[in-house]
Amino acid sequence: MYDALRAPRYNDDVVKKFVIATVFWGVVAFLVGVIIASQLAWPELNLGLSFTNFGRLRPVHTSAGIFAFGGSALLGTSFYVVQRTCRVRLFGGEAVANFVFWGYQFFLVMAALSYVMGFSQGQEYAEPEWHLDLWLTVVWVTYAVVFIGTIVKREEPHIYVANWFYMGFILTIAVLHLANNLAMPVSLFTAKSYNVASGVQNAMIQWWYGHNAVGFFLTAGFLGMMYYFIPKAADRPIYSYRLSIVHFWSLVFMYIWAGPHHLHWTALPDWTQTLGMAFSIMLWMPSWGGMINGMMTLSGAWDKLRTDPGLRFSVTAVGFYGMATFEGPVMSIRGVNALSHYTDWGIGHVHAGTLGWNAFITFGALYYLVPVLWKREGLYSKKLASWHFWISTLGIVFYITSMWVAGIMQGLMWRAYDALGFLQYSFAESVSAVHPYYVIRMLGGVLFLTGMLIMVYNLIQTVRSPVTERRAALAMAGT
Amino acid sequence: MEVETGDLVAGAIMLVAGLLGLILASGATDNEMYVFGLSLAAFAAVFVVGLIRRHYDKAEAHARGENRHV
Amino acid sequence: MFIRHETIEKNAFLMLVLTLLVISIGGIVEVIPLFTIETTVEHVTGVRPYTPLESRGRDIYIREGCYVCHSQMIRALRDEVERYGHYSIAAEGMYDHPFQWGSKRIGPDLARVGGKYSNDWHYAHLINAQSVVPESLMPHYAFMSDTPLDTDDLIKRLKAQRAVGVPYSDDEIANAMADLHTQADPAADNAALLKRYPKAVQVGHGGAVTEMDAMVAYLQVLGTMVDFADPANENMRQ
Repeated sequence: MYDALRAPRYNDDVVKKFVIATVFWGVVAFLVGVIIASQLAWPELNLGLSFTNFGRLRPVHTSAGIFAFGGSALLGTSFYVVQRTCRVRLFGGEAVANFVFWGYQFFLVMAALSYVMGFSQGQEYAEPEWHLDLWLTVVWVTYAVVFIGTIVKREEPHIYVANWFYMGFILTIAVLHLANNLAMPVSLFTAKSYNVASGVQNAMIQWWYGHNAVGFFLTAGFLGMMYYFIPKAADRPIYSYRLSIVHFWSLVFMYIWAGPHHLHWTALPDWTQTLGMAFSIMLWMPSWGGMINGMMTLSGAWDKLRTDPGLRFSVTAVGFYGMATFEGPVMSIRGVNALSHYTDWGIGHVHAGTLGWNAFITFGALYYLVPVLWKREGLYSKKLASWHFWISTLGIVFYITSMWVAGIMQGLMWRAYDALGFLQYSFAESVSAVHPYYVIRMLGGVLFLTGMLIMVYNLIQTVRSPVTERRAALAMAGT
Repeated sequence: MEVETGDLVAGAIMLVAGLLGLILASGATDNEMYVFGLSLAAFAAVFVVGLIRRHYDKAEAHARGENRHV
Repeated sequence: MFIRHETIEKNAFLMLVLTLLVISIGGIVEVIPLFTIETTVEHVTGVRPYTPLESRGRDIYIREGCYVCHSQMIRALRDEVERYGHYSIAAEGMYDHPFQWGSKRIGPDLARVGGKYSNDWHYAHLINAQSVVPESLMPHYAFMSDTPLDTDDLIKRLKAQRAVGVPYSDDEIANAMADLHTQADPAADNAALLKRYPKAVQVGHGGAVTEMDAMVAYLQVLGTMVDFADPANENMRQ
């Protein structure tokens, strides 16, 4: 007979799986990152083998970081959040939710394997070939049906703000994925394909996709995470309801225009570049709207930063988000971009966002989620979490400062003229000049990976600690 | 105990995916398609086994008077 | 008047439709005109589809992820034009499926690398970059010279490109295999090849065609198709 007291209210099983996958892929992404950073410092480490070369491993790093680590965190937390804020179980039942999990993981493994085997569409962050794109489409549509279906059958009158962002992320990624990956396969039995668009149009579509992978995958989705976990951990309501409305609609409207700032001074027509730049600068405001809303939610609860290492991660993440979304508009100005584009400044900027914002907000969510999902009283060790925090923060500082210096130096060396009006430096000179900074960047990566491994140990020990009555009761109540 | 709609949908997707995987692997002209096709078929088979296992676990739990989502 | 947001936030369908609407506008405004405004891609002479060998070389360029370290887009900036040559124009990429403009220069731009170095330099450089440029961070691609070029699906590859708009003629497709072998053999008579594909550079050392040959053929044509001294391309002159 149905026993309401013994039946868990929500499907947390699939969330747990995503949590484990997030931790696993985080280690993979950071490890491969350290490896390819070392290859740039010491090129002998490429080993001369086709499948260990930088060119094939770099997509493994970016896909593992964005789509595997970030994606697992997003899908997992979205399932967690949507059930709690709608007060219903996931739409579609266990099997469909499991399909979303395993189907997505299958995509990630096959994509990584295809890169090292030498199959790539040759478009950044859209490297998987057509057959993998089609598989991801099936998984993604299922994911959208589960998520939106859950919202439709909700028992709360309002759709909570976190879900606006998650929904915006899911819908936009679907549109971007389909449009950017239109390709003609060589044959049905060949993985190789040729993109339908070419040259300048292809460039525009790719960066419309590429920048909105940042805008919707790495921003909107993670803002959804912020809008649930920060208020929850701080035990305070969102700072401003009105601000969340204004910044949600302006963010999703403006982000989609920002792509052309990746193509300044190129063969892309000027009008498109100018539009892209204008919207990128305007985007600063909605971005900071999100930052202020997240940050100010802590007003009256700032003392929790001393006692809750998870919350410390989340709030620092929002700080890095604010920093990266200020740096971005600055770099999108054509004059600045003339210097910064093609240099390591871009790499530093990206990592301020991915390490500082995406990874940190994910760590915050993981430190919150693991004790709740496994019904443990609390983290195994807050002290280790603090170590994780400081080691990782130091790693990020190493990373972004070294890349600032390297990037600006490259930009200046490439455009330097001597007294006679000739270019002062050969390209090769700019390569050897940045070597020390590549070593520092690699060390920053090692620190970040070390922090991650400390977290892995801490979380495993947390899961191995005993279940407490109090937590089990809370879980039954569906909090 | 009746079969849930979700199980049927997931099972149907897996049926199509598994067959497609085998077709792709059999006709593949490059390594990637061959590996992908075989992996897809294997994935589908394992997923269906999981579906069946979960169904019977649930049915047994049901028979014991429990109602747990496993 | 401020529309009550409550209405949207209580209706999942409304929220979904509005979100889709709001995210569509920017993309539509920026992308569609690039296909319809005629001046987006300049009218110049000289841009031709890649030869079968160059095209296979390009496939390998994409396969190895060369674009993660090398750009193929010289920006309209004084120092770039001095370092790499005439700034890149849209027409030069019109048969590039996909484009390979890149986003990062760990190595130098390659948009006009064609003809800058000899074939022998490219072979030596791809096998061991540090042997010719000691500062280089480039991985070694010696395995390419040991790997015979796979030409089994050559025709299918060209036809797939034709399907997405590369104007390979029936004649070019019919002669593809012959053209490939002619280009990979410096001793072969290349008159017919050059008639179909002007400026195609012959590579190789005789013997079986390797992936390395295809790669060098591709690199040697980069940026050479448009003759900026030609009066027909006068409006492109800097």
